[in-house]
Amino acid sequence: MDFDPFPESRVVGTARVPGAPQRTAPPVPVKIIVAGGFGVGKTTTVGAISEISPLTTEAEMTMESVGVDDPGQATAKTTTTIAMDFGCVTIDQTLKLYLFGTPGQSRFAFMWDDLVRGALGALVVVDTSRIDDCYPAVDYFERAGLPFVVGINTFNGQAGYNLDEVRWALAVRDDVPVLQFDARFRGSVRDALLVVLDQALDKAMRMRSS
Amino acid sequence: MTFPADPDDPDHPAATGVRPFLRATGPGVRYEPAPAPPPGPAPGEPPGEHTTSLRPFVITSGRVAAVDPAIGLETQVSAHPGALSARLSPEQRAIVHLCGEPLSVAEISARLRLHFGVTRILVGDLRAAGHLDVHVLENDFPDPETIMRVIRGLRSIS
Repeated sequence: MDFDPFPESRVVGTARVPGAPQRTAPPVPVKIIVAGGFGVGKTTTVGAISEISPLTTEAEMTMESVGVDDPGQATAKTTTTIAMDFGCVTIDQTLKLYLFGTPGQSRFAFMWDDLVRGALGALVVVDTSRIDDCYPAVDYFERAGLPFVVGINTFNGQAGYNLDEVRWALAVRDDVPVLQFDARFRGSVRDALLVVLDQALDKAMRMRSS
Repeated sequence: MTFPADPDDPDHPAATGVRPFLRATGPGVRYEPAPAPPPGPAPGEPPGEHTTSLRPFVITSGRVAAVDPAIGLETQVSAHPGALSARLSPEQRAIVHLCGEPLSVAEISARLRLHFGVTRILVGDLRAAGHLDVHVLENDFPDPETIMRVIRGLRSIS
């Protein structure tokens, strides 16, 4: 760029240069939310399918959140996601899918309105040994009218309970799919997301016909 | 006794828009803030990452609410050519610098380690000043055709 002796002269008004080459049009972004309790594998889910390694704004767990963010007995995790981590999948040059992992704790619920606006749907990740962790997420998506799918993360190789038992415990509506997946494997995460998209497509069709 | 260079002195132009207390310590720095900051990143901070210790409300000039709630996490932002020659705050300059190619607000926030709320306010400011294009979508919920394209795209992932 040429040296501009009067940089201030450009402060006011648009800085667009007439005749400048057309820049690449931005892709249309769509997003799916990956929600769930603390340490259930949200970041693993996002990382399994994202083409970038998940960008994270993680802060270390502070003293006052010890006990509130109980990671359970099985995990040695010492930090909690107090913001969110996300990744993306480029569908084509004009369409990009973003995945946002969001903490399930109800005290972070204030963040969710921004997250849910415009979202296609949500995958609620569940660890059956700490099933109550996902209650806030399920409650929130039901109230928000966002299509969601309950995905039981079988990262220990077994779900522990069958799907009907989990459905009963969560008391979700019959049209909410409950499925098993493994957050570590891309194909498994992809299939779970496809079920979310199926729900989103149903909603979009209903919105169009009404 | 030496005085710091006058920022208006043409022989010693100040680095544009960089406040003295935000400057990194290094060979290119002419003077240091009175209480010298600890050299290098603070413990617990990943090396090589620059984080400001400014409170968020300082960066946003006290504002806490975004101008436009339609600017979401995934909203794409691209800089106008020439925006870098404007006088901007360091944070705004960093945003413009990142957005040569379209980028989501969430990515800007993550890469600059700025809180999303702060990033959104700064992006809104930059748009109002004509330095950024913010591509806000018209529809709140994607149409079936878009969703079908996502489904087809995901299915092709192996």
